[in-house]
Amino acid sequence: MRASRVVEAVLFASQAPVSAAELARVDEDLDEERVEEAVAELRVEYEREGRAFGIFEIGGGYQLLTRPEFAPVLERFDSVPANARLSAPALETLAIIAYRQPVGRAEIEEIRGVGAGGVLRTLQERELVEVVGRGEGLGRPLLYGTTRRFLEHFGFRSIEDLPRPEELPVVLSQRSEEVKPNGA
Amino acid sequence: MERVASPDLYQVDLERFRGPLDLLLHLIRNQDIDIFDIPIARITAQFLAAIDRADHLELERAGEFLEMAATLVRIKAQMLFPRRVEGGEEEDPRAELVRRLLEYEHFREAARLLEDAERDRSRRWQRGYVEVRPAPASGVPLETTWDEVWEAVLRFAARATEPEPGYRFRGRLVRIEEKIELVLGALRESRRVEFAALVSPWGTRMHAVVSLLACLELAKRSAVLVRQSAPFTPLWVYRRRRGEE
Repeated sequence: MRASRVVEAVLFASQAPVSAAELARVDEDLDEERVEEAVAELRVEYEREGRAFGIFEIGGGYQLLTRPEFAPVLERFDSVPANARLSAPALETLAIIAYRQPVGRAEIEEIRGVGAGGVLRTLQERELVEVVGRGEGLGRPLLYGTTRRFLEHFGFRSIEDLPRPEELPVVLSQRSEEVKPNGA
Repeated sequence: MERVASPDLYQVDLERFRGPLDLLLHLIRNQDIDIFDIPIARITAQFLAAIDRADHLELERAGEFLEMAATLVRIKAQMLFPRRVEGGEEEDPRAELVRRLLEYEHFREAARLLEDAERDRSRRWQRGYVEVRPAPASGVPLETTWDEVWEAVLRFAARATEPEPGYRFRGRLVRIEEKIELVLGALRESRRVEFAALVSPWGTRMHAVVSLLACLELAKRSAVLVRQSAPFTPLWVYRRRRGEE
């Protein structure tokens, strides 16, 4: 059996992303490098044949997904209600956790200027964030980080794949320093 | 000191804003104000006016806005006094507020980018997500015979002539918690269950109503999906798959 067919079979049958390491484990002849080659081979094949789906890298794995241009068709066909989109406060809170993790509730509230208890609970229930540790200081506050489910929800390969708004890295690196209002 | 513009000239609806920082940024950015040189008296007046107009703000949210209002008033007061000079460098009372505003603005922008990514991801489907719709029942030709109609008439007549009992009694109270347990129990056994099957063992209107309420409650808690392909067709209750939103 060709390696690309083995990889194709597993990706076809899986609902969630499958990592190269997991794929390499299904067949003795496979290792991660060969998996990557197989994925590249399949991508060329799908592209050439104009398939309706492609292999996308999400949450540290590979996943077969339909191409965006078929969204209008599937929206009409799909009888399951579309995923509920996250609210604006939830997105803001997630953004802070994603860029600052591990981060405590106090810092999130300080940045947003509003309470974060309810939003944090919702995000935890949806398994988008989780407690990753405890901070130093009074009461050893819980620290939050994003989950693999978070990467899947937004279609990110890894946490490094997060979009960076202009200048955001500047603020991130100067978190403890004073930013002079007349500086820059 | 700058003149205080009439706050009423600048009306905003507090409900639209995610918090005091969001409102402040809106006031600053929409009036093309230099964030490093905020006319604090004008902004404070506009901010206070916005709070003043919001009559039904829940307590926690109101507190958040009032805390910012207090900060603004404090900065405004500090601006009136000559600044203390320490080591030749003067500290602008607005500096900390500007830092917070810029930091919040960055994360607001990051949240917008996350929203774009979310929309982008939702336009690609994974396998197993699409469930095939049941074919509409309306296309099936109606087939019945006069015998069947006559039989139905007789059944109805028999029911209509049953003697009215000379008394009425109140049925046992039907509790919604009970029905929720029933629905969840049924869904543990199979992926979906027809609503009629949940009700048929009892058949009274009260059981049907409470069962429906139970299904709606579970749907609200995102524990089940309730689907009907067209009006008056069977109503199905689906178990929600783990990890599905």
